[in-house]
Amino acid sequence: MSKKVIPQEAIPDQGGFTVKIEGKEYLVMNDAMFTFYQRSMGEFSDFFLTLRDERKILGCRCTSCGIVRVPPFALRCPECNFAPTEIMEMADTGTMIATPPITYFANSLFQKQVPFGRGRILLKGADTALSINCYTTRGILVPGLINKGTEMKVIFQDERIGDITDIFCVPAAELTAEQLGKKGLLSSELDWERAVEPQLPDETGENKALFESALGELEALAAELNDCARARQDIADWQRVIQIKATGGSFILQIKGEQLAIKPGVEPHPDFTIVCPDLKVLLDGLGYRGSLTQAIMKRALWISKNSEFTTIFKLERMARSLARSKK
Amino acid sequence: MGKRVGIVGAAVTPFKAKWYEKTYYELSQMATADALADAGMEPDEVDAAFYGIYNDIFQRTCIPEHPLQGIIGLQNKFGLRVSNGGATGAYAMSAAHAYIAAGRFKTALVLGVEKATDCFDFMSMSATPEVIKTIGWSGDSFYEQKLGWTAADSYAEVVLAYMDEHPDDLKPEVTAEISALLSEQARTNEYAQRQFDQVTPEEVLNSRTVVYPFKELEICVYTEGAAALVMAEEETAKEISRRTGQPVAWITGLGEANEHSFAGKNHKIMSRIISHHLAAHRAYEMAGITDPLKAVDVVEVHDAFVHQLEITMAEMGFVPRGQADKLIEEGLILPGGELLLNPCGGLIYSGHAVGASNIMSAWSARNELIKRKLKTGLVHGTGSTVAQYGAVMIMECD
Ligand SMILES: [Zn+2]
Repeated sequence: MSKKVIPQEAIPDQGGFTVKIEGKEYLVMNDAMFTFYQRSMGEFSDFFLTLRDERKILGCRCTSCGIVRVPPFALRCPECNFAPTEIMEMADTGTMIATPPITYFANSLFQKQVPFGRGRILLKGADTALSINCYTTRGILVPGLINKGTEMKVIFQDERIGDITDIFCVPAAELTAEQLGKKGLLSSELDWERAVEPQLPDETGENKALFESALGELEALAAELNDCARARQDIADWQRVIQIKATGGSFILQIKGEQLAIKPGVEPHPDFTIVCPDLKVLLDGLGYRGSLTQAIMKRALWISKNSEFTTIFKLERMARSLARSKK
Repeated sequence: MGKRVGIVGAAVTPFKAKWYEKTYYELSQMATADALADAGMEPDEVDAAFYGIYNDIFQRTCIPEHPLQGIIGLQNKFGLRVSNGGATGAYAMSAAHAYIAAGRFKTALVLGVEKATDCFDFMSMSATPEVIKTIGWSGDSFYEQKLGWTAADSYAEVVLAYMDEHPDDLKPEVTAEISALLSEQARTNEYAQRQFDQVTPEEVLNSRTVVYPFKELEICVYTEGAAALVMAEEETAKEISRRTGQPVAWITGLGEANEHSFAGKNHKIMSRIISHHLAAHRAYEMAGITDPLKAVDVVEVHDAFVHQLEITMAEMGFVPRGQADKLIEEGLILPGGELLLNPCGGLIYSGHAVGASNIMSAWSARNELIKRKLKTGLVHGTGSTVAQYGAVMIMECD
């Protein structure tokens, strides 16, 4: 089935319900305002077609003052009494004009992408900056990885539709010289698995004992979460095998059939890996005594794939559900 | 400059997370009736309506003001709707002032209303994500919306750019303390959505990051409600004032500016909010103010985000740029300080009923001037992507 412009699950059923306030009933109706478009990209057609078909970014240069605008949002220069501009091909590398914000909690349309950065890249030779999503190939995006002035490379999606989402950027420092030099570099040509795992201290009798004690608490907490209907609902239809590495030992956390299972050992092909130097951090997050998101931002917790933030979000929701059902 | 114009009546409805009991029709009637009562007037005596309604999608209709004209008793009179993002209310007040100052009308009603949380996300079964998505349609539709543009991430761009230039300002402990202070001030605003939601700086610091660098308790909350003002030209205003016994809050300065929405050389300077700087200084010039910290007693600044509030206060000249933390560190806005800032609790604790928000702020500033027998108030509105719009109004009581 082709992809719809509105996700099926976003569309409510017809109907309504009543809310009672101070003895009086008020009617609330499910509803929508919907308008579909065949929207012309008009003068921006070249920009989007070139992104899609040639993997190139266009800008425009004023024939009078020489300012280079990217994207080419004004094809006549308002500074020069609307002098014409010339379309030009831009470099696909540049620097961030400012530290980009990172969205951790998005609206439902973007929830699957979090955390994502959106900043403005000043491509080489440009005078204005292009709004663009920023990612890292080295695990999760946290503050400090991409800053003002960070050199970035524009990457093209393998499947492009002629939309601004056909491109995103990653830090140039994460790429090989060959990748950096290649024009129209595709997402599939990046090594998304090359996240560098933080090193943990060697196992000692002392830290192993601390690990074992925290693991025991974690097993008890997992049992509590598994007993809580509200928490189980948070991982409905979700399946993951997570390798967890901590100081003093490692284990596997499996999410399957609305249950959390903790198993000893090492999984050769986990969906992703969590490294937490102090297992207490994970324990506090799942026990609703701290935030896993905040721990990731502070690098007290590391995950190997940005896209697996969704799983972290679900685990946080479980923690909150258990805390609320205890109230 | 035209005729002298003053505010002679004002009212707000309670700001609530959700008004199941009223549509925006009756919310409009409530605020209008109370504002007219405050001015001792009836609808007959009002010459024109200026509506501040931000977003058609929130109201679930285009031309949302058309039913209001008759409902608020202004059939066959002038009606103009203003929609300027978050600065809608401030711009609506500015428009009403201009028409009266030009002599077109003797009196006008400024009515802001927003039903912001009727929209609902059926995927998460909660309203907030859909509110954010609805505002998300305000990003640039060709180049930004599909990147996950939100009001929060676009203001965060400006805040982070400011922090790139001034890494020692906007310290987390200071933004947390400002939020806690605002929550304390909301306690006396019986119309505030979060009147009794007092928080400690520690709670603010520990609240989750929504969009870096903003934490949940540093962001305004969307709300539903209405606010209305009655404005009148000099002679009418004086006559109303004699009738009601309330001093006129004269509008002595106005300024507005809309920046470029694209960033770069000769375009938007990300680390600045030039719109707020220009709006404030244009208003100061009109009002004859040279030192705002000395001249202004009450400031109602549009606090979409605490960090932006701090930058705005610097852009408006109350503290130096790069040293906005002085608001707290030198006690300027602490109880007993030189400045009364957001006595209503700001939009973070009163709630942000977008089109009504700045009008609510004007209601609050006027209340404080009258109640505390102060002279000068400042009302500020911000809006659109990257804090592009700014509008400032100065009011003075005799
Ligand atoms: Zn030019």
